[in-house]
Amino acid sequence: MGRFAVSNQSLEATVDPELVRKWVKDIGSDSTAAVPLLQAIQTEYRYLPRKAMDLVVGNTSITASQLFGVATFYAQFRLRPVGRHMIRVCHGTACHVSGADRLDTAIRQILGLQDPDQDTAANGSYTLEKVACIGCCSLAPVMVVGEETFPNLKGADAQRSLQKHAKAAKEVLPGDAGQKDADGDTKDASEAKKSKKSGEARP
Amino acid sequence: MTITIGEGTCGIAAGARDVAALLKQRFPEAHMQSVSCLGMCHQEPMIEIANPDGKSYLYGKVNKKNLPKIVHFHQGKGDIPAANFIRSSDEPDTDKGSYLTSQTRIALRNVGHLDPTSVESFRARGGYKAIEKILKGGMSPEAVLEEVKTSNLRGRGGAGFPTAIKWGFARSAPGYPKYLVCNGDEGDPGAFMDRSLLEGDPHSVLEGMLIAAYAIGASKGYAYIRAEYPLAVKFFGQALQDARQLGYLGDKILGTDFSFDIKIKEGAGAFVCGEETALLASIEGQRGMPRIRPPFPAIQGLFGKPTIINNVETLANLAWIINNGGASYAAIGTEKSKGTKVFALAGAVSRGGLVEVPMGMSIGEVINKIGGGSASGRAIKAVQLGGPSGGCIPASMFDTPIDYDAINATGAIMGSGGMVVMDSQSCMVDIARYFLDFTQVESCGKCTFCRVGTLRMKEILSKICEGKGTMEDLQILEDLAPQIKDASLCGLGQTAPNPVLTTLKYFRDEYIAHVQDKRCPGGVCKALITHTINQKDCTGCTICKRYCPANCITGELKKPETWVIDQSLCINCGMCKEVCNPEAVIVESLGLTAAHSQPMRASA
Ligand SMILES: Cc1cc2nc3c(=O)[nH]c(=O)nc-3n(C[C@H](O)[C@H](O)[C@H](O)COP(=O)(O)O)c2cc1C
Ligand code: SF4
Ligand code: SF4
Ligand code: FES
Repeated sequence: MGRFAVSNQSLEATVDPELVRKWVKDIGSDSTAAVPLLQAIQTEYRYLPRKAMDLVVGNTSITASQLFGVATFYAQFRLRPVGRHMIRVCHGTACHVSGADRLDTAIRQILGLQDPDQDTAANGSYTLEKVACIGCCSLAPVMVVGEETFPNLKGADAQRSLQKHAKAAKEVLPGDAGQKDADGDTKDASEAKKSKKSGEARP
Repeated sequence: MTITIGEGTCGIAAGARDVAALLKQRFPEAHMQSVSCLGMCHQEPMIEIANPDGKSYLYGKVNKKNLPKIVHFHQGKGDIPAANFIRSSDEPDTDKGSYLTSQTRIALRNVGHLDPTSVESFRARGGYKAIEKILKGGMSPEAVLEEVKTSNLRGRGGAGFPTAIKWGFARSAPGYPKYLVCNGDEGDPGAFMDRSLLEGDPHSVLEGMLIAAYAIGASKGYAYIRAEYPLAVKFFGQALQDARQLGYLGDKILGTDFSFDIKIKEGAGAFVCGEETALLASIEGQRGMPRIRPPFPAIQGLFGKPTIINNVETLANLAWIINNGGASYAAIGTEKSKGTKVFALAGAVSRGGLVEVPMGMSIGEVINKIGGGSASGRAIKAVQLGGPSGGCIPASMFDTPIDYDAINATGAIMGSGGMVVMDSQSCMVDIARYFLDFTQVESCGKCTFCRVGTLRMKEILSKICEGKGTMEDLQILEDLAPQIKDASLCGLGQTAPNPVLTTLKYFRDEYIAHVQDKRCPGGVCKALITHTINQKDCTGCTICKRYCPANCITGELKKPETWVIDQSLCINCGMCKEVCNPEAVIVESLGLTAAHSQPMRASA
């Protein structure tokens, strides 16, 4: 899951103490502010940098044990940095019975994620996260890349949607060394077309 | 001309925004209106075009390619585009349109009919009439409570506790201030009723909160909405602002002595936070751990004060009850389950989406009549009802009426309304394992039986799915279940064994097939299936080879007779089957007698 991103120094955020103080001023400094403060930090940095959490503890009446307790309890919070874009694959019931696992396999392949605990592509482009239901169950299986939701996906569609996203975002997909051609097969134009068609012909 | 576009989360996902932009280009003079999901998620993106002469037409599955035909028709050229046409003001009773006409919409009365970001559009449909009737008409809190009591409304969050009785406790409890909390956590995977309400008709939920707060004497409210629903958070926030500005929220509402204000708290992704005491801990900034009840939140809740927590759908019914009278609501439904229930229909069904039906309708009617039956043409096997707390009801019992007690009698529960339909290509053991995996991860860890018991159950189920189970394991599951139910503190642990118990009860043969024959009848459990290529159907197009993540398919271009899968490398991920157009990839679960220790791998 998202909480076990590989440590990647280049993705560490630089925390601006003024920003944290501003959030404390806007949101509050008593114990009820713990969750919204962490949400503000994560919205900005996309994970919870240690430095920002220390600043919260230093500037509020929230104790370190409460803050870290909360940060590790809720699935939303991540203590490790993530890639530049998030991919959320739904593993809710409807998506599970409609093939969410295949989306996972396909995306791990195109991101070059080998180790099951690795969730961020080595080049820092994308982080893959499992989520439980995003409320589009009748369009299952579903994934969300950045802000965009993709419905009724097959594994191959998921790769294609991601390639499209990567192109627009100028990212390189590590596992996408052209189309894989293990033993030198050439793919002629008609096949490429067919493959595209099979992906689009969804109910 | 007025063009209405369904831009709920599902509509946007299906491409509604592109369609809207194109329509704007084609009909620059038209009045464009954005509404939320009409409930026909299987038809997204949907548009309704009302011609200047007043006739309106509803279309589904609109995209770049078929849009020109629709445009032509409305320019007076060509015929009605049959493939997209759902119904019109002249012809409301079409086959596709019956999805909507078979329903009775009370909670969803406005969803898909108004712009959720516009309070005017809400008021044009009779919004805020109920709170005006109460406050300006001088209805006392007791009278409001009495009306809800007459309606016999039971909480829609899962347990079905009578709403008015719960309110009564908080009303008479000492303590100030009192709180009213809207539970919009909706953690059940496979359910999206509350999202659709918050996103499609936020003011109705808000009006329901006002009515409930007035009845119990609350002055502060929280709307706890899960962060995974960004549009719901945004639209509800907008609704709060608009209502405050118009004097429906805040100090001295509509010039009376009633003051009430609401804050939004975003959930942070913990299923257990839907449980009421955990939800309160979460609002207080703690880990969302449930606590022992009593004291119930109605007596001692948020910050130790009397607190009522109601589900989104419960709240959405209230204004209707005040406007139409509790007796009209109680006239719908069965003896002990009154009114309507909203379901989120998904899975292997043709027409998935939101369905609101009167209590008493049979499960089969919802799935077959409204949902249009199987999506694949394969036989429907079961429906999963009530999420992780619920269970699987087999197709043979689809005449069970929608009624709290009748559904409980099957071993499932009504729950919040997720209905995931499964056909013959689903595996009931896999589904049980899936839910136990879910509850095990989501257990807050406070109770040993919940924390360790669900883990143990999950391990056994995984073993069975891998073909390593024994008949004794089934016995252990049945012994563990009542202990977990009895020894857990909150509803999560108390209901966690339900998916296992119902599948063991109704689909025992599937468990036995896994244990004794090492076979997965649904063709799902990876350790027990094989993928092979049927060279007769193969065209040698090379697509499967390119998508196979294990690099285990070999063959030469356009030479079907050379195509094989190396079974020692294949991980049974199913990618090849998905991409193969001539459907040449075959999935089989051939099984194995108990004497073998490894599942059989058929050679190609
Ligand atoms: C583990 C667990 C999760 C729950 N999740 C929800 C939920 O997401 N939404 C909800 O309204 N109720 C949920 N409930 C039920 C609530 O605790 C509570 O009964 C309900 O919100 C009361 O509202 P009602 O009386 O209007 O049904 C959950 C209960 C448990 C035990
Ligand atoms: S039953 Fe499970 S989730 Fe509920 S309090 Fe106990 S450990 Fe936590
Ligand atoms: S099931 Fe997956 S691993 Fe096996 S051959 Fe097909 S694509 Fe390859
Ligand atoms: S189960 Fe995937 S969106 Fe609900």
